[in-house]
Amino acid sequence: MSASLIAAASVRLALRESTVLLMAGLFAALVLVSAWLGWQATDTVNRIYLDAARFLAAAGKPVPTNPVLDTSPLILMRNMSVYVILIGALSAIVIGNRLVALDRKAGVLPLIASRPMTKAGYSNGKIMALGAMVAGLAAVAASVGTATLLTLPGAGISAAMWVHLFGFFAISALYMLTFGMIAVAATAAVRSESVGLLVPVTVWLAVTFILPALTLNLTPTAVLNPISALATPPDSGFFKFTGWALGPFSLAESYGALSAGLLDYRPAGWVSRAFLPPLVSLFAALGLATALALGALHRLNPTEGNYDA
Amino acid sequence: MHSPLFIIAAKDMRDATRDRFLAVVTGFLVLAALTALLTGAIALATDVATYQSAKATLLALGKSASAIKPPEFYPMRLLRGAVEQIEIVGSAIAILIGFRAATAERGRQTLALILTRPLRRWQFIGGKMVAGIGLLAIGLAVVMGLSAVLLHLTSGIGLTGNDLGRITLVWAVSVLYMASFFLASFLLTLHLPRPSTALLIAFTLWLVIVLVAPQIGDTMDPDNQVAGGVFKALSIARPDQLEIMKTYAGFEAVRNGIEVASITKHFERFAFAVLGIKATYAGLPLGPILSEKALDILWIVLAALGLGGLALALPLNVKTLSQE
Repeated sequence: MSASLIAAASVRLALRESTVLLMAGLFAALVLVSAWLGWQATDTVNRIYLDAARFLAAAGKPVPTNPVLDTSPLILMRNMSVYVILIGALSAIVIGNRLVALDRKAGVLPLIASRPMTKAGYSNGKIMALGAMVAGLAAVAASVGTATLLTLPGAGISAAMWVHLFGFFAISALYMLTFGMIAVAATAAVRSESVGLLVPVTVWLAVTFILPALTLNLTPTAVLNPISALATPPDSGFFKFTGWALGPFSLAESYGALSAGLLDYRPAGWVSRAFLPPLVSLFAALGLATALALGALHRLNPTEGNYDA
Repeated sequence: MHSPLFIIAAKDMRDATRDRFLAVVTGFLVLAALTALLTGAIALATDVATYQSAKATLLALGKSASAIKPPEFYPMRLLRGAVEQIEIVGSAIAILIGFRAATAERGRQTLALILTRPLRRWQFIGGKMVAGIGLLAIGLAVVMGLSAVLLHLTSGIGLTGNDLGRITLVWAVSVLYMASFFLASFLLTLHLPRPSTALLIAFTLWLVIVLVAPQIGDTMDPDNQVAGGVFKALSIARPDQLEIMKTYAGFEAVRNGIEVASITKHFERFAFAVLGIKATYAGLPLGPILSEKALDILWIVLAALGLGGLALALPLNVKTLSQE
């Protein structure tokens, strides 16, 4: 049995799960909503500007420049980064959990171990399955994003912008994959099926809603707004230190900053305060999570049929 | 107190104190709430220091300090992050407690044993509901109590009886808010064939209600689309903003409709008003605020009562609960 055979079987099994399909469907639906929201929000600001310009001109006041004209069309995709942080990461957690939990629950580990198959082959197969399914999620987001930009009149996307856009989807895949790996590691390491799901969800909650408060003084709802999430932190020694020391662990912040850079809405003069640049932080987190996942899969006891055995 | 309902409730509460789960999740919420409060206090202290420094510079230059605006200081506003953490993390914890309450007897064959006793099924369900909501109330009391102590220590101004009354009121409504999520998860886990599916569906509902609906409403707010606000970017004064936005009444109605479809937004609006976190309510007496926010309270009460009634009314499927 090869790793690719394990990966193919795992993907087939996971795709039969209603929860996986539910989360993936929700992600796809919200990616569509985010594209609509991006267009709608920009269009509303533009209309408000036109109304305001008429109003100011009638009052004999100077008319400032339209803030929409200063922006790149890629900004339409800015809400997608929020949905990757929310639903994309959670979908990856569910996928990672199901890929391992289904084997453990069905008690097929002794059966798989009875075949000519190394532990590394099994572990690599599961990682490959996770990679393929997360790539599928990212592909859905990329298709919706591409279709939106091609459909909207006057978007005018240059070749460099397309590169940026696909860079954003690649970064999004890395971010989701990290949480999927954490879920694989937790599901393989713990004794209970529920705890296997709770551990990565707790990590996700801490990364998404607690660390940004420590590093940027962001409230949880500000984290959900791609513009507010880029606010400058208070100019104090505390936030300088936490931003430097905890910044690399604040993955949602790193991902948000990278997304803002790629989608052209990062404020001018923005610089990372962390001791590791955002991209390096994301790769380091993915590397660590992958090592944990491989280690936990390798330690799975092939003589134990399921969680209760 | 010898009613079977209270015996079941007491047993569930004892079980919860025996393992570390409740302590761990309450500790997590305390950590989240106090982190938000502390970072808010540090940010405010930074603003005050910046203001003092700028004022000293102006005075040293012989200029008037009235040119710079002093930072506004309402200590209760520091609770904003804590309220938001209860909204998000608190509701997730309520889902977990509801899930555990429903799975406690599952797969261990203890349910059949319990039902051999002189006990009606609604008493069994009611006992579990009382225990779960009681545990949430205790956990929230710890969170709010510690937040009040930290607020008192960090703000440098003692909290008044009125402030403590407002915090207690927000605690009571927070219990109802979290009870709604507890009951939704409890119901799903009791009635769906697989507990893990129930937990995932509960979390999907949580995502949509707590995070997605308010996020869509927030994103549709035109003033959130330009850094600093679109009207500020266009240098338009508040009365003129209101005049311009009159033509967007339909749009605003849709945006508000999306927001108020979420119980989370009702809880947020109520808590922000009572604690004076929203600027328009700062310094207002409680009476008019409660009168204005009656609909928000009603929403939360009806959600909790409706789900509680449903949990008691739906017949218990013993066969499903005997499976793991």
